[in-house]
Amino acid sequence: MSDNKSDLKIGVFICKCGGNISETIDLEALKASLNVEVIEEFENLCSLNGRKIIRDGILNKNLDRVVIAACSPISHEKTFQDYVQPLNAYYMDMANIREQCSWVHDDNEKATAKAINIVNASIEKVKEAHAVDPIIIHASDKVAVIGGGISGMNAALSLAKQGNKVTLIEQSPSIGGHMAKIGKVFSPVKIAEECGMCLLNPILNEVVWNDNIEIITNAKVISSEKRSGTFNLVIEKSPRYVNPERCISCGKCAEACSKEVPNSWNDNLSMRKAIYKPFSQAYPEAYVVDMENCDKCGDCLRACPMRAIKLKGEKEKFPISVGSVIIATGHKLFDPNLRPEYGYDRYEDVITQSELGRIMGVNGPTKGKLEKLSNGEVPKRVVMIQCVGSRDEKPEGHLYCSRVCCMVALKNANIIKHKYPNTDVVICYTDIRTPGMFEKYYKHGQANGIRFIRGRPGEIVKKGDNLVVRTENTLKRQFEEIEADMVVLSTAMEPSEGTKEIAKIMDVGTTEDSFIKEAHPKIKPIATDVKGTFVCGTAHDPKDITESIMQATAAASKVSEFVHNGIDIEPFIAEIIEEKCTVCGDCINFCKYKAMTMEDNQMVIDPMTCSGCGNCMTVCKQQAITINGNIDDKITATIDGMLEGKKDDERRILVFLDQIGYTAADNIGVNRLKYPESIHIIKVHSINRVRPSHMQHALENSADGIFIGEYPGDLMYDEVENKIERLRNRLERRGINRERIMFAKVYIPYFTGLANKLIAFDKEIAELEDKE
Amino acid sequence: MKNSKSNNTYEIKIEDSPLSLAEDIINDIKFSKEKGLLKCVQCGMCTSTCPAAQHSNYNPRDMIERVLEGDKTILEDDDIWNCFYCYTCHSICPVGNSACEINQILKQISISEGKADEKLKPFLGFADSYYSMAIGAIPSNFFEEISEDVPGWWDFRMKLEDIREELGLGTISPPQEVVDEVSTLLDKCGFKKCIDKIREADE
Repeated sequence: MSDNKSDLKIGVFICKCGGNISETIDLEALKASLNVEVIEEFENLCSLNGRKIIRDGILNKNLDRVVIAACSPISHEKTFQDYVQPLNAYYMDMANIREQCSWVHDDNEKATAKAINIVNASIEKVKEAHAVDPIIIHASDKVAVIGGGISGMNAALSLAKQGNKVTLIEQSPSIGGHMAKIGKVFSPVKIAEECGMCLLNPILNEVVWNDNIEIITNAKVISSEKRSGTFNLVIEKSPRYVNPERCISCGKCAEACSKEVPNSWNDNLSMRKAIYKPFSQAYPEAYVVDMENCDKCGDCLRACPMRAIKLKGEKEKFPISVGSVIIATGHKLFDPNLRPEYGYDRYEDVITQSELGRIMGVNGPTKGKLEKLSNGEVPKRVVMIQCVGSRDEKPEGHLYCSRVCCMVALKNANIIKHKYPNTDVVICYTDIRTPGMFEKYYKHGQANGIRFIRGRPGEIVKKGDNLVVRTENTLKRQFEEIEADMVVLSTAMEPSEGTKEIAKIMDVGTTEDSFIKEAHPKIKPIATDVKGTFVCGTAHDPKDITESIMQATAAASKVSEFVHNGIDIEPFIAEIIEEKCTVCGDCINFCKYKAMTMEDNQMVIDPMTCSGCGNCMTVCKQQAITINGNIDDKITATIDGMLEGKKDDERRILVFLDQIGYTAADNIGVNRLKYPESIHIIKVHSINRVRPSHMQHALENSADGIFIGEYPGDLMYDEVENKIERLRNRLERRGINRERIMFAKVYIPYFTGLANKLIAFDKEIAELEDKE
Repeated sequence: MKNSKSNNTYEIKIEDSPLSLAEDIINDIKFSKEKGLLKCVQCGMCTSTCPAAQHSNYNPRDMIERVLEGDKTILEDDDIWNCFYCYTCHSICPVGNSACEINQILKQISISEGKADEKLKPFLGFADSYYSMAIGAIPSNFFEEISEDVPGWWDFRMKLEDIREELGLGTISPPQEVVDEVSTLLDKCGFKKCIDKIREADE
């Protein structure tokens, strides 16, 4: 075999990535360093022209192996596996010289030197590759949609109509979300404000009546375990205390209830009883007891003609298994008290747009009459302040634009001007952002007599009976004090608590603002970085109803692709050699992933569940288990390639990461953070596949340090940690400093943390070398 | 100033580099906001909370705009001397800029270029008090105005030594050897040269 390896014809194809790579890495130097059959470079290798170059290279020069020096395999491995046909997909390896080289280093010379190492590592790796085929498995058609707002309802509906079984999980007592309480909605095309509830209701009804949708309210997902293609979710459902099967919504219970509390559905602008129905179109069509405020007097029980109420109940937990998950957990609004200069809690007539929406809503606290909260009078002048908490880098503020607030302010201003033409409405803005057709809506507002002052108010004070908004009219270069009797704050949209919680539970990546992050901001705007989990609506970023519905239906479509096309599983998993297996069953309990079962007196490995960690091999006395794809030799070859040509005064640190750690490392590059050029990352299927002998081999062959990153949720985490501790002790006896091996936790969302750890480890190793 | 005005049209010539003034400020050791200056969107929040803007023609937003245009006439603008460092603009700026620090840097450039001696003249008394008392004390030329603006201030000032004695705090001025030491330090670091220069310019 080894003689043959040197005869293998290898082609290296280098992508410039439109300058992303070629502007940092000196491709001429890279090419000059290579000694292979074919070297080609191209502007965009992932294009169809790129495919022709690769295919021609393979066919004309009879290549045996191919290295693509380009972006991350996470971006384009599938593309290039396809492009190298008729070669086996695994005869190709991607050298990631973009996310893990050109995007994380500024020094062209050093980046080029590192790129050469990365490409060398891939060349050595493919020499050891075996031909294997991917395993294709079909995902279950059961889907969990988390969040019952406009996004979740549309996603659920679209999935159900395509024949999937949907569980729609909503935290509050009713589905409907923010849209139910918004009052009127804006429409740039009709240049009109329409009744939000009238648009929502048919959708809500369809969701309720669709047999493929099961709605679970008062419930949340509290844990998720992913076993390859299946998510095992645990749902916790809080008691409603009213049996929805019996309740006829007659309201006699609420009449009888003597306990009044602020009505959160009306932004606390009105009162409701401790037994209540959130709003009249709520589903389930039943009352609910707010147990935090109930004093258990029993009046409601006696008033109920249906005997539907029971004041005892426990939280109930139950599991569901689904093939995919759509996160539609939505947003909340910025707390105006975080900007005390606007006096939200000092002045009754300083309110938010959401509260104004409730006040103007016909089903709101004033039945749609515009009234000041202080005295019930119609305001003479309403001043609206934009960007409260948005475009704001002060503490707790958000750098981003919340995207809908300009339209929301215009909508509410238009409604006021329409119903109360004598009320002066002023919008204080920094920039009016009404893209596309919304510009027409802006013009419509101006024509209605809404006034605009360009300036961001710094303060609201009270002078006499009136509020005074202090602002600079920047276009007039004039400091102004605007008297107003109502001020409305356009508060930012931010991720809801539920969104932040579910990100942790599902371990999906988040943005620096804690929204759910898409797999790729340009071309994968709906998938998350966890396979089978998708996002839509305002859990993803600030957006309006139209955009939420578009993303929701797109998410449903993505799930359908997933269900109907199946999932490609990398073939590097365990396999039983039947001739050797004595069916002793030792491996069954040893496997942390529970991938082994005994069926018909035969050992069976579930490919969806096996992680390819190789732990079972260590327990099998018969040596009847192998891992497909010659992984061990591939890792050794990769290490050798990475260390090739290392100079004495140079530092090279090898970093081993699995899919999770590698994604985090890619995110460092995507976000253009930096780490030292000494860091050389090697992707493995399972951290457990990196054996002590690999690490020892690396350290004895000039590697200066080894960094092992493992996700703490991985079932093998403890095992790996113990293994490394043992290895450190062993190396110490051989005269190698134990500090040269670092074991660290990695998380997909916490890529800045990983970057800092890599920087710190490089420094530690440098100091270690100074000392030695 | 490279920019030139002709027929009311503000011309930006091809060789002009409007950001050079902003870059000087960003590189100044006094400036703590890194890229804050370049991110200004002229929202006017600084001006809307600025006490000086309410009572004079000083306009921090306008000052920033002129800095970003590379308009060096801002260095000779009387209005920038109305900022008295309350730092409200600094703490409220939504993009993390600090008009207040920029104001101080502009003043320092103006002073270094010898354009601000007139402005510093009223404050020479502060400098003198370091020599006479080793502390910065309000110069006597301000006494009258403060007495008018702050009721009871003059009375307080007259009785200050008594109050301090009653509280067991000792005299406000440190012992003579400290005053001498401070004076020597000030001479050696060139402070005296600076104030002499300002005083001469005055004459």
